[in-house]
Amino acid sequence: MQRDKFFKEIENVRHPNETLVKTHCSYCGMQCGMNLRVNTVTNKIIGVEPRYDWPVTVGKMCPKGVTAYQQTNHDDRILKPLIRDDASLKGTKEGFREASWEEAYELIAKKFTELQKQYGKDTLSVFSGVSMTNEKCYLTGKFARVALGTRYIDYNGRFCMSSAAGGFLRSFGVDRGSTLPWTDIHETDCLFIAGSNTAECHPTSMFRVWNVQERGGYIIVADPRETPIARRADVHLDLKPGTDLALANGILNLLIQNGYADEEFVNQHTNGFEETKELVKEFTPEYTSELTGVAPEKIIRAAEIYGKAPNAVVMFARGIEQQHKGVDNVSGYTNMALVTGKIGRPKSGVATFTGQGNGQGGREHGQKSDLLPGYRKITNPEHVREVCQVWGITPEEMPEPGVSAYEMFELMEEKTIRGLYLLCSNPAVSAPNLNFVRKALKGLDFMVCADFYLSESAEFADVVLPSVTWSEDEGTVTNLEGRIIKINKAQEPLGESKPDWQIQVELAERLGKGKYFSHLKTAKDVADEFRLASKGGYADYYGATWDKIDKQDGVFWPCKDENDQGTPHMFLDKKFYHPDGKAKICALPYRPPAEEPDEKYPLRLTTGRVVYHYLSGNQTRRIPFLRDMCPEPFVEVHPETAAKYKMDHEERVRLFTRRGEAIYKVKITEAIRKDTVFVPYHFGHEQSINLLTIAALDPISRMPEYKACAAQLEKVEKAEMKKVQ
Amino acid sequence: MTKKRLYLELENCIGCRSCLAACTQCGGHEERNRNYVYDVNPLVNRQTMPLMCLHCVNPACARSCPAQAIQIHETGAVLSALVEKCIGCQNCTIACPYGIPKFDTEQNLMYKCDLCIDRTKDGIPPMCASVCPSNTLQWLTDEEIENKKQQFNLDNGKWVTSLPYLEGETNVKVNLPGILQGVTKLF
Ligand code: SF4
Ligand code: SF4
Ligand code: SF4
Ligand code: SF4
Repeated sequence: MQRDKFFKEIENVRHPNETLVKTHCSYCGMQCGMNLRVNTVTNKIIGVEPRYDWPVTVGKMCPKGVTAYQQTNHDDRILKPLIRDDASLKGTKEGFREASWEEAYELIAKKFTELQKQYGKDTLSVFSGVSMTNEKCYLTGKFARVALGTRYIDYNGRFCMSSAAGGFLRSFGVDRGSTLPWTDIHETDCLFIAGSNTAECHPTSMFRVWNVQERGGYIIVADPRETPIARRADVHLDLKPGTDLALANGILNLLIQNGYADEEFVNQHTNGFEETKELVKEFTPEYTSELTGVAPEKIIRAAEIYGKAPNAVVMFARGIEQQHKGVDNVSGYTNMALVTGKIGRPKSGVATFTGQGNGQGGREHGQKSDLLPGYRKITNPEHVREVCQVWGITPEEMPEPGVSAYEMFELMEEKTIRGLYLLCSNPAVSAPNLNFVRKALKGLDFMVCADFYLSESAEFADVVLPSVTWSEDEGTVTNLEGRIIKINKAQEPLGESKPDWQIQVELAERLGKGKYFSHLKTAKDVADEFRLASKGGYADYYGATWDKIDKQDGVFWPCKDENDQGTPHMFLDKKFYHPDGKAKICALPYRPPAEEPDEKYPLRLTTGRVVYHYLSGNQTRRIPFLRDMCPEPFVEVHPETAAKYKMDHEERVRLFTRRGEAIYKVKITEAIRKDTVFVPYHFGHEQSINLLTIAALDPISRMPEYKACAAQLEKVEKAEMKKVQ
Repeated sequence: MTKKRLYLELENCIGCRSCLAACTQCGGHEERNRNYVYDVNPLVNRQTMPLMCLHCVNPACARSCPAQAIQIHETGAVLSALVEKCIGCQNCTIACPYGIPKFDTEQNLMYKCDLCIDRTKDGIPPMCASVCPSNTLQWLTDEEIENKKQQFNLDNGKWVTSLPYLEGETNVKVNLPGILQGVTKLF
C-alpha cells in the first residue's frame, strides 16, 4: 500500500513482559491504528502504544482512542448473564440476578417460542448496531431471518449513515462512503466540508485537513457553529440548521452560471443536468441567503473557490444527513462534484465521515430491514436466491422486508412487535423523541439485551447477556474510506462474556436452528461464510481475505477474488453503478425543516458530539479521563441570546420542545448562531437531549431530523433548582 | 540517530486534549499527565493551545532547586524531580516562567514533563507528539524545523518564540498562531 509523506519508520517502545497486539480503535469510522499493550504474565490488556505503521493515521489517536483500552477490564463489565424476574422494575437498574448461560438461553428460547406461537413469527424483532465487526453484523442479519424467522430487523445506522447511503445510491448507484482514500485528502486543493465537526468527531483527519491550507489550498466549512475547523476555514458558511439543500442548490447554481460545469463530463457520464440546472436557477445568492441566513458574498466566494480548484473533495457528515431531507442534502452536495467533473480521479471526489467504527461495512451485509449480504436487496428475487443458497434455506423461507429503526418502536407501541433482541446499540439514549421510545421499550412482553455494560437500554431488558469488548474477539471492519481492516484479539473474554456471534449461534441451536449455525465455531468460520455470502453483490468482499488485509494494510471493496487488490479509488474509469453507467445529477426542490421556529418555540435546536464521547456515551462516560473532561451535557448559547433571556454562563436552565424538556448548564459562546442552541447527545436518563428531538423521518433513508427542531429556553426558579439537585 | 526536537505549531490545536490523555500513558508517568491545554478565549471562540515544558537550555526550575533534584539529561531534557532528592519546597513551580512543574502534596514531590525520556532517549517520539491528531505537536529534526521556518513567516518576520519572547533559549521550538499569514495561495 502506498505510504505518504506523513509516514515515518518508527520503532515501538517495548517493555519487559509485554507484547503489542496490532489493532484499531473501537470507536469512530476513522478506525485509527493502535497497538494494545498486553502483559504476558497476566495476559491482560494494560495500555496503548501508537501504531506508527498504520498508513491512514500514522500513530495518531484522539483521547477516546488513547483511553479505549480501559474498557476491557473495567469494573462495570457484566461478567455473567443477568435475569430480572420482576417485570415491574423495567426501566431501572434494579432487580437483576446473575444466572448461568444455560438458564438464560432456556428462558429466551421459551419466551421467544411462546410469543411467536401466539402472535406469529414477526412479533419478534432485532435491533442492532454497527460498532462491531462485519462478521457480527452479517450473522445478526442471518440470526434474525433464519433463527428467529422475523422480518423485523433494523439497526442504529438509521440514526447515523442511512442518509449518506441513500444519497450515494441515488447519485452513483453505489454506496461507498468515500470515493477516494484518505491519503489523498491533504493533496487536494479545496476541501468543501458540510455539517462535519471534523476536529471533534474525526480528529485524526485534521493533520491532513490543515495540510491543505499549509500548501496554499482552501477549506470551506458549512456549519451553524464556528467549530474548531470552521474557525480556521477560508470561508465559513454559517447556515441555519436544516437549510443545507438551499445552500447546495445555491452553490450549484453559481457553479453553472459562472462556467465551472464540465460539459464533456456531464454529457458523457451523467443524467439529469438540464432539469437540475433549471431547478437551481431560482437559488440566486440573495434567495439562498434568505433561506440559509448566510451572507451572499460568502456563498459567492465559496462557489468561486470550489469552481476554480483544480482538485477538490466535497465532504459531509451527520450535520447534513440527520435531517428529514438528509438524502436530498447528500445528493445536493454530491451534485457539485458531478457538475464540475471533480470526481473519478485521484485527489477529487466525495466522502462522508462515517460515524461508527463499522458504519460502512455494517450497513452492507444485511442488518438493514431491506438488505441482504453484499448490499443485495431482499425485494429482488435473484438476490434472495443467491443468499438462500449460502444460508441453506428456501426463498419461501426468507422473510419480507421489515421497517426502519424508529418505526420498529411504533410497532412496539401498537403491539405488532412484542419481543426484542437488542445488541450493540443504546436506543434509550440515541433514538429521537425518547419519551415515546422509552415507553415502547417498557411495554414489551420480553426483551433481551446483549452488551458489555449495563446501558440505559439494558435497564429495560428481562435478560442481559454479557458480550465482549472489541479487544476480546477478532474480525474485520470497514473504515470510512471503504477499506476493510482487521481487528485482532488481545485478551480472552472477561468473566463469562462471549462474542455476539457465538451467543447467536448457541441461541439458534436452542431455537432448533442449529443446522444453519452450528458449523460456525470461530470468528474465522463466520468470516469465510460472510465473504461467500457477499460474493457477486456489489459490496463484494470475497477477495478480502484476512491474509490480504494484513499484507496490504487493508483492502478497499469491491474486491472480487484472490488476485484483485481492491479498489482504493472509485470510478477511475468514469463508470458509475447505475445500469447505464452514468451518475445522476439530481434536481432537488428545497423544503424547510419539519419544524420551523415560531413564537412559542423561537430557537433552533441542533445536536452533536464532543470529542470526549462516542455515541450514547455508554462506553466513554465510564472512562475516567473522558468523564472528567466532559462529565455532563450543556447548552451552547450565543451571548446576545443569553442576554435576552437574562442567563449567565454556567447557570442551569430548562430547554424544552413540543416533545420533552431537560435542564442544562448554559455555555456561552460567540461560536454559534444567535438563533441556534446546541446540546451534545451522549448522555442518559433525564440528561438526554433526545427527549426533545423530533422523529420527522427522511422519506428514503428513514433518518430522524436530529439536527433541527424548534425549542425554547427558560430560567429555572431557585426552589425548583433545589429539587433538581 | 539524528537529533529530533519537540516542535509546537500552536495554530493547529483543536483542543482535543489527546496530548493530556497520552501523557498519562508513558512508562514512568504513573498515569498522571504533565502538560496543559488552555482555552484561549472560551466565551468567544474555540481556540485552544497546548503548553508543556519547553526544556530550557538553562532551566530556571533546576537553577532554583536547592537540592539538585532536577537533572538535565544528555539529550537536553529537563527531568522530573528525583524522588530521593526532592524536598518539596516548590521553588521550581514558582521559578518556571510558564508554571510547568506540578506538585503532588501527598507525596510531597514535584513532577513535570520529562520529554518522555523513556522514549526520546531512543529517538522514539514522546506520547503527546505521537498522538496529536492535528500536528500541533510534532517530533522533528532541526532540518525539518528549518524548513518550517522558511515556509511560515509571521508578518512581523518572526515565528519562533525564542528570544526575546522567552526567558531564554529552549530545546522545544514553538511556532506562534498565525502561520498561514505568509502562505501563498495555490490559486
Ligand atoms: S475515536 Fe475515532 S479518531 Fe478517535 S482514536 Fe478512535 S478511531 Fe481515531
Ligand atoms: S493533542 Fe494536539 S490538537 Fe489536541 S489538544 Fe493537544 S496539542 Fe491540541
Ligand atoms: S519550561 Fe519551566 S519546567 Fe521546563 S525547563 Fe524551563 S523552567 Fe524548567
Ligand atoms: S513530552 Fe511526554 S511528559 Fe512531556 S508533555 Fe509530552 S507526553 Fe507528557
